[in-house]
Amino acid sequence: MMLRPTLEDHKVVGFYTGRIIIGVGALMVLPLSTSLLFAEWKTAIDFATGLLACLAAGFGLQALCLTHQELRRRHGLVIVSTSWVLATVLGAIPFYLSGYFGSYLDAIFDVMSGLTTTGLFLLQDLDHVPNGLNMWRFVLTFAGGQGIIVIALTALFKGVGGGIYHLYSGEGKEDRLLPNVIQTARTIWVVSLGWLLAGTAALTVSALALGQEPVRALLHGLWVFMGAFSTGGFAPQSYNTMWYHSLVFEILCVIIFVAGSLNFAVHWAVWTGSRAELRRNVELRSFAVTLGIFSLITAIGLARSGLYTDALPFVRKTLYLVLSGHTTTGFGTIYARSLVTQWGPLPMLGIIGAMIIGASSCSTAGGIKGIRVAIISKSFLQDVRRALSPESSVITSRYHHVKDRMLADDTVRTVLMITIAFLTMHAIITVAGVMAGYPVLEAGFDGVSAASNTGLSCGLTAPSMPDFLKVVYVLAMWLGRMEFLAVFALFGWIWSVVRGR
Amino acid sequence: MKRSLFMLLIVAVCAGFSSAAAAADVSSTVLIEEPAVWDGRVVTFTGEAVGEAMVRGDEVWLHLNDDAYAGGSIASGALPQGYNSGLAVVVDAEDARVVTVFGDYRHQGDVVEVSGVFNAACPEHGGDMDVHATGIRVVREGAVLDHAPGTSSFVLLGIAFAAAVTAVGAYLIRRPRD
Repeated sequence: MMLRPTLEDHKVVGFYTGRIIIGVGALMVLPLSTSLLFAEWKTAIDFATGLLACLAAGFGLQALCLTHQELRRRHGLVIVSTSWVLATVLGAIPFYLSGYFGSYLDAIFDVMSGLTTTGLFLLQDLDHVPNGLNMWRFVLTFAGGQGIIVIALTALFKGVGGGIYHLYSGEGKEDRLLPNVIQTARTIWVVSLGWLLAGTAALTVSALALGQEPVRALLHGLWVFMGAFSTGGFAPQSYNTMWYHSLVFEILCVIIFVAGSLNFAVHWAVWTGSRAELRRNVELRSFAVTLGIFSLITAIGLARSGLYTDALPFVRKTLYLVLSGHTTTGFGTIYARSLVTQWGPLPMLGIIGAMIIGASSCSTAGGIKGIRVAIISKSFLQDVRRALSPESSVITSRYHHVKDRMLADDTVRTVLMITIAFLTMHAIITVAGVMAGYPVLEAGFDGVSAASNTGLSCGLTAPSMPDFLKVVYVLAMWLGRMEFLAVFALFGWIWSVVRGR
Repeated sequence: MKRSLFMLLIVAVCAGFSSAAAAADVSSTVLIEEPAVWDGRVVTFTGEAVGEAMVRGDEVWLHLNDDAYAGGSIASGALPQGYNSGLAVVVDAEDARVVTVFGDYRHQGDVVEVSGVFNAACPEHGGDMDVHATGIRVVREGAVLDHAPGTSSFVLLGIAFAAAVTAVGAYLIRRPRD
């Protein structure tokens, strides 16, 4: 029996959602400041309007829903989902007002893509956008990578009861780096900001050496870092990272997006001196194995095509695209349509496989995640060992993920459930693309890319695609980022309002 | 009569050869969709120079967009008409000096015509698709763009400001005081 939420329950959800929306509005200060700095007055007005709309919604919700009831587990996931919906709708205001989008739905698509670190976009004429607008794209993706809830927990929450863990975990992050969730959220920001300084500096110096003016080099360095570390895939120019035509720049990007795809707990373990974690962690081992498999598939396909006659371009293009897909970043050094017109089916299947698996849990990356692949593999091997052993023997399995853990049946069940949910979503989104009239491989490529929050495209995703497919992609990006639970919790909440007792 | 016909035939054959040897005028979309057809051929390509010229020793990377915005960007008041589309071009650094205005938010870039060899996957440049230009000329000079906010922007700002002040006021009145 589902219990109908009380008015006080709704107030708790509304109150904390309001608080998080204020945090999202505060993020608009960055593009607003950028616009003012570069004297982009119209863009500045658009961001001021967006910021004020967030403040109106945030404080309005808090005023309407003022409550003394404590935040509990049943509220946490619903708050996360509601916040993401509102953040997306309100975050699209400056996008839409800019005139660079064909519709409000297109603007919503880009905000959801940014927040979920997907990287697909429907913004048009990217090569002529103001700096303030570009800054908003990257702030969205960087903030989304860390989690908008993590941001709110860092700055706006103090001692609000046990439900706070469910706010944190609802965004697809389960590992606590420290016993206290708020300290964990702040630690995630310390790690990310440390990388931000080092990564931006390295990319800026590289961009200067490549012939960019200092201000543009700094902006590109910052933005490409944000796109890479958040495994987002947005880039400042329509040519994506092909713009730079530089092996060194590509290597820097790879280092940064691989780092961004690592579990924050692994970052923390390494920062605190446990370097052995890099060697022992089952998720990283799983990533290495699947990277090898999908690189091989892609390389065989490319070798057959005879496209790259020299070894260096062959290895460079193959590894960059497969790593970009596997870490769910979405950076590319070829034209989107080149995947179809030059690379062909087998390399595309290799990248689709890499995107489906994705990278690490509790990171900025999407996909099924390496830890789940490792657990399913270990469980399968354990069952084989059981089948081959005497009935009286007790077969157990262990794995190392930050600490040594026993493989429990409950864990395997949960992992399988989420994996099946991901695979079902990939199938549904592919069918949706085919129904819209696209070839199955292209529908599968862009569909999986959206649902795994990757952002690579073979040219299907475009402002001209049908609206229903845009809506499907938005939902898939959201479900993929939330790993289903928080979204289903919101649907369950709405259902219990209608049918609960 | 026979002599005239013979001369006419020679002229026709020569004309045929010269048109085959001339650079084909193609768009980036055609080159990206049919790279194998055009690989290694001399092409003429026209587009708006965007971003910047990235100098690498004796050569320069230019990015030329031949999309709907080459004639006028959204920043200049055009309506959205799809993604950007263009090609990367490698030009001799001296030759590239003719390009002075690059397209961005504040500028409509020079529209440039280049002719050169199209490479579907250039081994010299890391496998990138590019055009090695042997000729370059500016066919239309770029311009500085003006961006004045419209009245509707200020009206929306005013409405949002009023809503925010009301919401903050309501919250401050209702919040519990410790």
